[in-house]
Amino acid sequence: MDNQTQDNTVLSKEDFERFREFFYEKTGILFDESKRYFVDRRIIERMKATGYDNFKSYFIAIKYDISGKELQNLINALTVNETYFFREEYQFQAMVENMLPEITSRKKPGERVRIFSIPSSTGEEPYSIALYLLEYWKDIDKWDIEIVSSDIDTNVLEAAKQGVYSSRSVQNLPKPILQKYFTPLKDGYYKITDDLINAIEFKKANIVNSIEMLKFRNFDIVFCRNLLIYFDDLSRKKAAENLYNAMNPGGFICLGHAESMSRISSIFEVRRFPKAIVYQKPLEGNV
Amino acid sequence: MNVLIVDDSALVRSYHRQILESGGFYVEEAANGLEAYEKALTKNYDLYIVDINMPVLDGYSFVQKLRDTKDLKQSPVIMVSTEQENKDKDMAFRCGANFYIAKPVKSEELLGFCKIISGVN
Amino acid sequence: MGLIKKQEEFKPQEQTEEISFELLIKDLNDEDPQKRLLAARLLGNYKEASIYLVDRLGKETHPVVRESIISSLASIKDEISIKGLIDCLRSDDAKLRNSAVEALSQLPNEVDSCMKELIHDKDRDVRIFAANIAGLMNHPKAIYWLIEIVENDEDVNVCGTALNELAELGIEESKEAILKAKERFKNEPYIQFAADLALKRIDNG
Repeated sequence: MDNQTQDNTVLSKEDFERFREFFYEKTGILFDESKRYFVDRRIIERMKATGYDNFKSYFIAIKYDISGKELQNLINALTVNETYFFREEYQFQAMVENMLPEITSRKKPGERVRIFSIPSSTGEEPYSIALYLLEYWKDIDKWDIEIVSSDIDTNVLEAAKQGVYSSRSVQNLPKPILQKYFTPLKDGYYKITDDLINAIEFKKANIVNSIEMLKFRNFDIVFCRNLLIYFDDLSRKKAAENLYNAMNPGGFICLGHAESMSRISSIFEVRRFPKAIVYQKPLEGNV
Repeated sequence: MNVLIVDDSALVRSYHRQILESGGFYVEEAANGLEAYEKALTKNYDLYIVDINMPVLDGYSFVQKLRDTKDLKQSPVIMVSTEQENKDKDMAFRCGANFYIAKPVKSEELLGFCKIISGVN
Repeated sequence: MGLIKKQEEFKPQEQTEEISFELLIKDLNDEDPQKRLLAARLLGNYKEASIYLVDRLGKETHPVVRESIISSLASIKDEISIKGLIDCLRSDDAKLRNSAVEALSQLPNEVDSCMKELIHDKDRDVRIFAANIAGLMNHPKAIYWLIEIVENDEDVNVCGTALNELAELGIEESKEAILKAKERFKNEPYIQFAADLALKRIDNG
C-alpha cells in the first residue's frame, strides 16, 4: 500500500511498547531498547511474509489466530536458536559446583546419577555435559553417570550419533579439551571421540506425549533449554509435567537463560545458586 | 525505596507504577508470583505490592513463599485485590501480608502505606 | 565409575504393567499422590475419563495432582470437562481458580457457548474471570464480549478488567464502549487512566 501512517522501516514507540508487553506476557522475555532494531526488523519481515502492511493489523492477527501459528513463527524469528558446545556454560558450572554435590549427598554408593538432555538437537548439549563432567567434576570417578538425550527429530539424532561438528560449533571449547576429545577432519570439521558417542544414550521422544515420556524416569538433572519457548501454553505445561514425572524428588531442571518456569508452571521449586537459577522437584512430602 | 509490583495486568502495573514513581519510589515489575519470587531471590526489594489472582503462582502462595524464605521473611507486603469480601482480606493477612488494599487502588491510599513502610525502614 | 551407558532397557515397574483405563481410574483415587499424579496425566488421553477427572478435581488437595487433572481436562475438552473447569471459577481456592482461567482461555471454541452466561453472572468475581478468559483467548468473538462488559457492567473492577484487555488492542470498534465507561465511572481514577490509554492506542493506530 502507498499510504503509510508510519515509517515502513521502523515501529512507532507505542507499537514497540505494546508489542513488547505482549511478547513479555507470552514468553517472559522482555526486550530492552537496545534490541529495538532487531525486533523491528524481525517484525517487519514477518509482516511482509504474511502480507500485512501495518503493525496494528498484524498484531491483531497474531493475537487472535486460533492456531497460534504466526505467533510461533514470530517467536522463532525473535529467539536465537544456535547450538554450540558449552552454550550457557554457567549452568554446567552450577551442575558440578552445586547440583551434583546435593544430589550425591542423598545417594548411596553404587547408585547411579542420571542426566537427561532434551532436545539433543545435533548433540552439542549432551556431549557438552559429558565433557564438563569428565573435565570439571571432581567426583566423576566416584559415581556412575548415565546421560540420556532425546529429540523428536530422528535426523538430528542420527547426526548426533555421527558426532561431527563445525569449527564454529566447537569454538567455545578450551583448546586442551578440543585436542583431547576431538579429531580434526577436512574443511575445519571435528569428530568427537567414539568413547563419548558410545557413552550417551540417544532416544527419540516427543516431550508432550505423556505415554512416550513414561519411558524416561528417575533423572537427577534435566537440561531442557530453548525448547519450551516454541510451544503454546498448554503444551508447555504438559511438557513440564512430563519432565516432572521423569525426575527423582530433589532432581534439578535447567531451562534456557531467557526462559523461566514463571510462564509455565509452579510445580517446581526455584533454587538460586551462585551461577544460575534452576528449578527443583520437591523432596519428600511431595510426589 | 525499591518496590516490586506483582500483577498479571500490564495496565495495572503501569497504573501502580505511575502512582509510586510520583511518590519518588523506584519500581520494578513481575507478571506473576513465580516471576516475582525469582526476582526476589536475585535482588533486594523494600516492598512488594501483590495482586491475588495471577497465573502460575497466585499472590497468596507468593507471599507464603517469601515468608518461608530465610532472607525474605521480613519483606513488607501490601496485598491488592479486586476481592472485597472479608474472607479474602483475612486470607491475605493469614498468608503474611502486612496491608491489604482493595482495587481499584486510590493513589493516596497506596502512597500512604508506602510512606509508612519507608518510614519504618 | 564415570560415564556409562546402560546395557539393558531400564524397566520401571509402571512399564511392565498394562496401562488400562480401569487401572488408571483406580489409581486416580489412590492414597498415593504419585499414583494419582501419573493417572491424572495419562487419563488426558481418554475421552471417557472426563467425568472421573472432574469428580476427582472436586476432592483433590494435592496441588501438583490438581494441575495435572486440569491439564488433562483441557486436553479432553468435552462438555463435561468444560463445565468442570467453569465450576472451578467459583472455588475459594485462588490457585484452582487461576488454573481454570488459564486452561479455559486455551479453549476458545469450547468455551464460546458459555461465555455469554459467564459475562452476565451474578457473581462479580466470575465476571472478572470471564473478562480474563476473554482477554487471554485467541478468538475474534472475545473482542465483542469485552466490549459488552465495558459498555454495560456496573462493577468497577469487572469493567476495569475488560478495559485492560481492550486497551491492549486499540480497536476502533471499542471506542464508543470505552467512552461510555469513562462517563459511567467518572470518579474512578483507574478507569480514567485505563480508558485514556485505550483511546490513545486507538487514535495512534
